[in-house]
Amino acid sequence: MNTVLNAYETELGRLLETAEKRAGQGAEWLQALRKKGLAAFREQGIPTPRHEEWKYTPLRDVAAVNWKAGEPGPAVFESDFGSLSGSAIRITVVNGRFDRNLSEIPTQSGLIVTSLYNAMTEYESEVSEHLGAAAAVGEHPFGALNTCLFEDGVFLMMKPGTVVEPVIEILHVTCGDEMVIAPRMLYVAGEGSVAKVVERYVTDGDGSCLTIPVCEVFASPNSNFEHIRVQDESVKNYHIGLWEIRQERDSEYRSYNVVFGAGLGRTDQNFWLGGEHIVTRLDGVVVSSGTQVLDNHTRLDHALPNCNSFEIYKQIVDDEATVVFNGKIFVHQDAQKTDAVQTNQALLLSPKATINSKPQLEIFADDVKCTHGATVGQLEESPLFYLMSRGIPRAQAEAILVYAFAAEVLELISDESVRDALESRLFSKLGLG
Amino acid sequence: MLEIKNLHAKVAEDDKQILKGIDLKVGAGEVHAIMGPNGSGKSTLANVIAGRETYEVTDGTIELDGEDLVEMEPDERAHKGVFMAFQYPVEIPGVANTYFLRAALNAKRKAAGMEDMDSREFLKFIREKIALLELPDDLLTRSVNEGFSGGEKKRNEIFQMAVLEPKLCVLDETDSGLDIDALKVVANGVNALRSADRAFVVVTHYQRLLNYIVPDYVHILKEGRIIKSGGKELALELEDRGYGWVDELAATN
Repeated sequence: MNTVLNAYETELGRLLETAEKRAGQGAEWLQALRKKGLAAFREQGIPTPRHEEWKYTPLRDVAAVNWKAGEPGPAVFESDFGSLSGSAIRITVVNGRFDRNLSEIPTQSGLIVTSLYNAMTEYESEVSEHLGAAAAVGEHPFGALNTCLFEDGVFLMMKPGTVVEPVIEILHVTCGDEMVIAPRMLYVAGEGSVAKVVERYVTDGDGSCLTIPVCEVFASPNSNFEHIRVQDESVKNYHIGLWEIRQERDSEYRSYNVVFGAGLGRTDQNFWLGGEHIVTRLDGVVVSSGTQVLDNHTRLDHALPNCNSFEIYKQIVDDEATVVFNGKIFVHQDAQKTDAVQTNQALLLSPKATINSKPQLEIFADDVKCTHGATVGQLEESPLFYLMSRGIPRAQAEAILVYAFAAEVLELISDESVRDALESRLFSKLGLG
Repeated sequence: MLEIKNLHAKVAEDDKQILKGIDLKVGAGEVHAIMGPNGSGKSTLANVIAGRETYEVTDGTIELDGEDLVEMEPDERAHKGVFMAFQYPVEIPGVANTYFLRAALNAKRKAAGMEDMDSREFLKFIREKIALLELPDDLLTRSVNEGFSGGEKKRNEIFQMAVLEPKLCVLDETDSGLDIDALKVVANGVNALRSADRAFVVVTHYQRLLNYIVPDYVHILKEGRIIKSGGKELALELEDRGYGWVDELAATN
C-alpha cells in the first residue's frame, strides 16, 4: 500500500473501498473533508514502532487484520450496560450510529443533541464550519481513517447562555467482529454555556473490533464544560481515539480520561488554548492488568497569556500490562504568566508491569510557572501495615490502597452519581467487590 | 494473656539487633507500662508484637493466650485480638474512615465465623464511640487521618480501639505530641476500655500519662532489655531520678 519505512504492509482493500465510496457522497464540503482524510490515511498508513509517536503502541496485530467497515449493530444487547448517572439525557450510539430508539433526549431550549448524520443537513452551517477544523488528519492516521469512514455520531451544541443541568450521558456500544467502528463527535459549547458530558465506550458480545472515535470540542468564551470519557471495552478490542479541544478566552474545560478496557487502548488528547484566562483540566485514571497496553498522549498548547492548566494522570499497572504516558506542554512565546502543572504517577503492582513515561515541556515564554512531576512506585509499607494491623487481609488492604491512589482524580468529578458509579467500577475492576 | 519469652528482634534489612532478650508476662485485666530512654527499643517492641515486617524476630516467642504470634501476619494477630495504637498514625487519603472501620470490623467478625455487621447497627455503634472520644462529627466521611491534628490522630487510634474491642492493646507513645487536654481525653477513652478481659501495654517516654492511665506494673527498657520492673511507684522514681539513673541500673545488672 505504501512504501514508507515506518508503516506496516496491510490488507485493507475492502475498508478503503468503502471509504472511497463514501468520499463521493454528501455535500461538497463533506466530500472534500473525507477525501482529505483518505489521502492522509493512505500516506501515513498504520505506524510501526519506528514512528516516534507510536513507539510504544504495538500496532502489528491491528495492521494484520483485513478490517471491514462497521455494520449496524443489534437492537438488543447481550449485556445490560445500565446508566452511570441516571440522567434524563441518555444517548446510545451503536457501532458508530446514533440510535434514536435507545436514546432519551428531553427538549431544552438552547440544547441540541442529535445524530451527527442528521445534523449535517439540519445544522449544516454549524457542522461544516467546525467539523474537521480541529482534528488534524495529517498527523494522526486513525483520525484520518475516521474522517473518511465515519457515517454518524453525536452533534451536541449549546447555544449561548444555555445551562444544561442533567449530565449528558452517551453510551457507545461496539458489537461484531473484524469491523472498524468510527463514531464522530462534534461538541460546540456556546458563549457562557454550561454542560457536563459523560461518554462511555463498551463492547457487547465476544468479537474483536477496532474502535476509532474522533471527538472535536469547541469551547466558546466563558463556556464551562466538564467532559468525562470512560473507555471500558473488552480486552479483545482495539481502541484508538482522538480527542481535540479548542478553547477560547475565559472558558473552563475539565476533562477526565478514565481507561479500564481494550487489549490495546490509545488516546491522543490535544488542547489548543487560544485565548487568555482559560482554565483547563486534563486528568486521567488508567487501570491495567493482564497483557493490556494502554497509551495516553496529551498535548497542551498555551498560545496566549494568563492561562492555567492542570494535569494529573494516575496509572495502575498490574500483571504484564504496559502503560504509556506522553504529556506535552508547549508554552508559546506570547503565553506569559502561564501556570501549568503536570503530574504523572504510576503504581506498579507486579514485577513485569511496565510504564513508559515521557513528560515533554517546551517553553518559549519567559514569565511562566510550569511544574511537572513523574513518580513511579509501589504500594507503601506504612499504610499497608496500618490497614493490616486493623485486621484487613493483605489482598484487600492492597486493593484499598490502589483504589485510594486512583480515587484522588475521580474525586474531582463534580457530579456525585457519576463519581460514585466510577468509583464502584474501579472497585470492581480491582476485585474489591 | 501475653507471654513474651527471650524475644530478640532486629531491623529486617539490617544486622542491628534492637531487642536483646525480652521476657514479659501480662495478665488479663492488667496495665503494664514500658518506659525507657530513646533508642531503648520501646517502639520496636510494640511494632514487633503487632507484626510489622520491617522487623525480624531472630529468637524467642510472643504468646497470646498460649498461641505464638511470631509466624502470624498482622491481620491474623488483629483477629486474635491484638491492637496497636500507632505513635505516628499514617494518613491514607482516598480511603474513607467508615469504609476502613467497617472493613476491619467485618474482617474480625469473619475470622470468628460471624456475619458482617448490619450497616445501620454499625453506624449507631461507631457514633457512640465518636462521642466518647470527642471526635468531630464529620469524621466518618473524611479519609483516614487526613487533615487531622496530632491530637485528633491519637484520639482516632483510641477510637478505633474502642470499635474493634481488642484483647491486647499496645499503645505506642500515645501521649507524644499531646497537650494536657488531649491527653485527658485519650486517657478517658483508654480507661473506659479497661476490663478484666483486656490487657494494656503502654509504651511511654514520660511519666505524666501514667497519672491518668495508672499502671499495675512498670518496666524499664534499656538497650533492648528490661532492666528493672516494679509497681507504679517505679515510674515516679524514674521521673525523680531521671534517665541517668537508668544507666546506673543497667550497669549494676
